Amino acid sequence: MSSRDHTELANPFDRSSVSRRWWLLGAIVTIGLLPLVFQDSYWRTNLIVCALNVMLAIGLDFILGYAGQLNLGHSAFYGIGAYVSTLVITKLGLPFWVAFLCGIVLAGAAGMALSMFAVRLRGHYLAIASLGFAVIVHQVLVNWISLTQGPLGIYGIKPPPEIALPGLPVISFGNSANMFYLVAGFALLFYVLLDQLVRSPIGETLTAIREDEVSASSLGINCPAWKVFAFGAGSAVAGAAGAFYASSVGTLVPDAFIITESFTILAMVIVGGMGTLIGPVWGAILLTVLPEVLRGFGDLRLVLYGAALTLVVLFMPGGIVQAAQIVRAQFDRLRARLEAG
Amino acid sequence: MSTVLLQQGINGVVLGSLYVLVALGLTLIYGVLVQINFAHADVVTIGAFAAYFFTFTFGGNYLASIAVALLVGAILGWLVNAAIFAPLRERGSELLPLIATIGVSVLLQNVMLLWFGPIPYAFDSPYSNQVIRLWGGTFITGQNLIIIVVSTLTIALLYAFMKFTFMGKALRAVAQDRETAGLMGINPNHLIMLTFVIASALAGMGGAMLGPILVLTPFAGTTVIVKAFAIVIIGGFGNVEGTIIAGLLVGLIESYTTQFVNPGLIDIVVFTLLLMMLAFRPTGLIAEKREENV
Amino acid sequence: MTISGRVAGQADGRRNSDKVLFRSKSLNKSFGGVHAVRDISLNIPHGGVFAIIGPNGAGKSTLLNLMSGLYQPDSGTMSLDGVDLVGLKAHRRVRLGLARTFQKIRLFKHLPVLDNVIAGFHIHHDIPAWQYVLQGTAFRRDYARCRHEARKLLSFVGLEERAKARAGSLAYGEQRMLELARALATSPRLLVVDEPAAGLNAAEVEKLLDRITQLRAGGMTVVIVEHNMDLVMKVADRVLVMDYGQYLFEGAPAEAQVDPGVVAAYLGA
Repeated sequence: MSSRDHTELANPFDRSSVSRRWWLLGAIVTIGLLPLVFQDSYWRTNLIVCALNVMLAIGLDFILGYAGQLNLGHSAFYGIGAYVSTLVITKLGLPFWVAFLCGIVLAGAAGMALSMFAVRLRGHYLAIASLGFAVIVHQVLVNWISLTQGPLGIYGIKPPPEIALPGLPVISFGNSANMFYLVAGFALLFYVLLDQLVRSPIGETLTAIREDEVSASSLGINCPAWKVFAFGAGSAVAGAAGAFYASSVGTLVPDAFIITESFTILAMVIVGGMGTLIGPVWGAILLTVLPEVLRGFGDLRLVLYGAALTLVVLFMPGGIVQAAQIVRAQFDRLRARLEAG
Repeated sequence: MSTVLLQQGINGVVLGSLYVLVALGLTLIYGVLVQINFAHADVVTIGAFAAYFFTFTFGGNYLASIAVALLVGAILGWLVNAAIFAPLRERGSELLPLIATIGVSVLLQNVMLLWFGPIPYAFDSPYSNQVIRLWGGTFITGQNLIIIVVSTLTIALLYAFMKFTFMGKALRAVAQDRETAGLMGINPNHLIMLTFVIASALAGMGGAMLGPILVLTPFAGTTVIVKAFAIVIIGGFGNVEGTIIAGLLVGLIESYTTQFVNPGLIDIVVFTLLLMMLAFRPTGLIAEKREENV
Repeated sequence: MTISGRVAGQADGRRNSDKVLFRSKSLNKSFGGVHAVRDISLNIPHGGVFAIIGPNGAGKSTLLNLMSGLYQPDSGTMSLDGVDLVGLKAHRRVRLGLARTFQKIRLFKHLPVLDNVIAGFHIHHDIPAWQYVLQGTAFRRDYARCRHEARKLLSFVGLEERAKARAGSLAYGEQRMLELARALATSPRLLVVDEPAAGLNAAEVEKLLDRITQLRAGGMTVVIVEHNMDLVMKVADRVLVMDYGQYLFEGAPAEAQVDPGVVAAYLGA
């Protein structure tokens, strides 16, 4: 079930291409202004984490919300991206952007491999297979000490190298504002890419698979192949997030990628509104920012995630997007009544 | 050498029978509802804490605390079904209830974290240190003996219940075909509730007995649950006999892996086995094909 | 591509001089102990309405599922226009021109009516890969064409007013027609309809039969699986009667009605 259930109520986020361009502009401007509003390093780190979570959430939504594949192992792709990109730099001495690409490609390949492996598995079996996969990946990261240094972790990871273009000031990514622009910029880019795909016949294909695979096959859709595609795309984006995570946080420990992380990303997707792409963006922002605002209450972050996830599923399964639709419908009704009365 | 083999075999059976208790609950719920209850793990943890507090804070008998944990588990099962599965059943979504239970699980774990703290509780049952010598130079602790006895009794009782009593058969009927069972005058909703209560009672009991063995933190359940999933899949969702065999198998594998290989690799071994199972025989060891009705 | 061209099934310009479109020989399928389809051989000629009938449990749906690729046969051969179907996955058969509807309606209930039909154009999109992201002229053209053709199909089945409604909100009879429209969107040469009259009232059945007649007039080959003999008699050119998975009779409908084996099967023995 997604927010599309309420077709009669217009999705306030579903706009024509003209207004979408305005929203895009607004997003760019907001991203530009945020580091100027938040100057301290604590909040800037949060902004970067927020951008990373957005990337993770939209990647998962592509797999879960659009293709309908219950992937509980998203944390594994995050971790693969982080470790692969870092190790390519430290062990192979290759430059950052090459390592970045490696992280994306390997995370994407892992996603496709999992999907190909699980291609005949439906619903719950896939959920458990993906969970099992995530546990294995985490355990490998913990136990392969010669490669990953295990629980001790990898320290001193450098940010991406400076960009020195002729005639322009040098852009150093040690500066947290610049790092934020980089990560948020990529998050926006991935969002636009996925959004275009979703609005194309590819999105229709994935939706058909999500709704009824047997039906979709009877229309000529090669369900296994498209599921692999969706998994590959979503996990590749997670891999990119991993690479940025490593280079912005500077240290890497396996426990950053335990299965609980998969659940928090899931919470962001569901709370935002599964299958809408923009919903998970809001969900990621809300669930990253809110616990920080409520910091006075101690370690309530995960309690919040759990409560939000449960309550949303029970009472507002379409998440923030559905809530927005209802609010919008109320406004329209109110306006109509005022105009008539 | 054979002593070690035998000893680890015994330990494996102990561990296995606990896993079976926990996994049985999952498989029963799946059989009747075709849903996975992620919060099952936390019933185990709560059962362990309930037993702990009953024994140490209220000074109760450890054996009685197992019964207490059973009750606590039963109540929790009733709550989870009433609050989550029953309301969501009408919506007819396959994914939503699962996701809701993930939410409940995360919530419960972290509430427990706030309440009990992350530091492990030392749960020593009065029987943990009693040692009974067995044949061939092996031994078994009193605690483990209790585990085997209680688990075997419970599992046997459950098995008999499922196979021979009317209720048990009704449960299986609902698992096979809910509509028809309904038409025959069986109220599926009541039976589903009964299933939940039984399943969670088993989990609570398992927790009480696992408490002295595991590291007792709010996350104790998670270490067991993913293995329980593995067992349910290997044995076949909804298949009671398969779950029993698979549970014992996993217990033995874990025991032998710890002894002869690196204990850190247990999870990898078990889950690779799980993935292999899913690849080649997703319906489990004792296959029971369910053809899709088009 | 016009709708009449589509329903005529001449979209890909393939003209077959051979009169038989679908051929099967000695098809067998068992499930556990149940031998659902036994040794079925049939020849479905080009054009016209071919009915597969038999009492409930006769194996008709299994045969249909074998044809469409949901199941693979245990033994026997099948071909569509000379192309071997055995081992070919269901989605590939759609590209060969085989479409089907389902007895238990399998629409995308949460999607709008129009989107359901558009889903059927999957194999007909004409967009270079990069334009899925950078949506240029070919993309926009395809987008407009799909919507236009979908509306025409909806009007063919009488649902053009409901294009924006959620498919699940349609009445049962309307949902059946929508399924038909969606299957037609794939531009089939052979359309297999599974128990189309199930759950429909008399008026709705008339409407459905009328559409099928129109499709036949356009040159499409339609296979109907039904257990209601009278209904089928009104529209079928040729009939295969099955019982217990086995062949009972194949030929003209009028002769089927008086064949002793068929009569015995329907009246019980």
